[in-house]
Amino acid sequence: MTTHRHTSKKERSHGKLVVAGLLTTSAALMATAGVYAGLSATATGAESVSSGSLNLTLSPDVGVGFSNFTGVMAPGDTDNVYVNLNNTGSLASAAGMTLAVAGNPVNALTSGSVPGEGLTISATQCSVAWTLSTGNCSGTTKTILASTTVSSLSAPVALSNIPALVAATGQVAHVQVSLGLAATETSVNGVAPAATVQGLSTTLAYTFTEQQRTGVATNQ
Amino acid sequence: MFRPTNRRVRRTAATAVILALGVGLVPPIASAAGLGGRATGGGAVATGTWGATASVTSMTFTSNTAQTTTVANTGSVALGAESYSVTLTKPFFFTPTVSLFECPVPWERGACPGGTGTRIGGTLVAPTTTTITSTTPLAVGSSTYLQVEPTGVFFLPMTVTLTPEVTSPAQLRAPIRTNR
Repeated sequence: MTTHRHTSKKERSHGKLVVAGLLTTSAALMATAGVYAGLSATATGAESVSSGSLNLTLSPDVGVGFSNFTGVMAPGDTDNVYVNLNNTGSLASAAGMTLAVAGNPVNALTSGSVPGEGLTISATQCSVAWTLSTGNCSGTTKTILASTTVSSLSAPVALSNIPALVAATGQVAHVQVSLGLAATETSVNGVAPAATVQGLSTTLAYTFTEQQRTGVATNQ
Repeated sequence: MFRPTNRRVRRTAATAVILALGVGLVPPIASAAGLGGRATGGGAVATGTWGATASVTSMTFTSNTAQTTTVANTGSVALGAESYSVTLTKPFFFTPTVSLFECPVPWERGACPGGTGTRIGGTLVAPTTTTITSTTPLAVGSSTYLQVEPTGVFFLPMTVTLTPEVTSPAQLRAPIRTNR
């Protein structure tokens, strides 16, 4: 038992030496690092920045706006709806706008599979709100899309005469969108031709797209 | 118990690659040009049908007794006019003629009740193929009644075929302009 006690004291003494050595080494290393930190310098500045937004909204101008046409359309008929295009973002848009129209399902009304036949769309801008009862504009009008087949609008088409349609923030365009049907077909004894636009239905999706104004370089 | 086979693993990997490519290839709106504003709207639309159907389209005459046919608007669009393609065959002997008359109600014993029938087209001389036009408006589901009156038919048969034809947009009701 005595021998054991003597050995433990020796080991403790060695441990103390090791700890003391480690502490000394650490202090030396920290002192060296302090020398290097003392040689660096930092300068700071701050600048706040916020990004703008570009929002184009579509809402009824007068009437119901874009919605289902409940009747059946015949060649020569016109279905007018009146919508507002409004730039509600904080950024102005670039001059120009495109319109694309897609049909679902795709059929002879929208595909152009029957030459010279199918749905057509035209669009006219009025400087003020349209008069629903007459479909007239009491201000000035600009044709922004001449009668165009829907099949030609599967890819975006540039609208014309609209350099400032909704270019500025908060600006509204009052647009009459006219849907028509072009068809010259002869039905024989009640039977439509094999290639026909008769008795079809589809749902049209209109997409108006604008782009932001050109980027601005500021020196301040 | 489910152990993916090598084929399944390859197929899954290929699908993942295709999906990844697809996501990468679909451009966000105006990705290169900056911000883009987009507004969408839409609605459903349906088109009508137009046409007139005759109850009898072929008649054979061996005497000068008139025959009738009923022509109905079987489409979903009202008609402003109708045409008839008429073909007359000539018997070996004789040269018969045919006249067409229209009545708003069914013919009775060769007469148009309440008045005389309205002649449509001129007198047709066999043999011929021609088109005659009636300007009678026909509402959807309504009918008009035709009587074919031959002359100069003696025993030898003469055939008359009569086929209604409706051409858009000229023979449809007036265009409708809707503001809504």
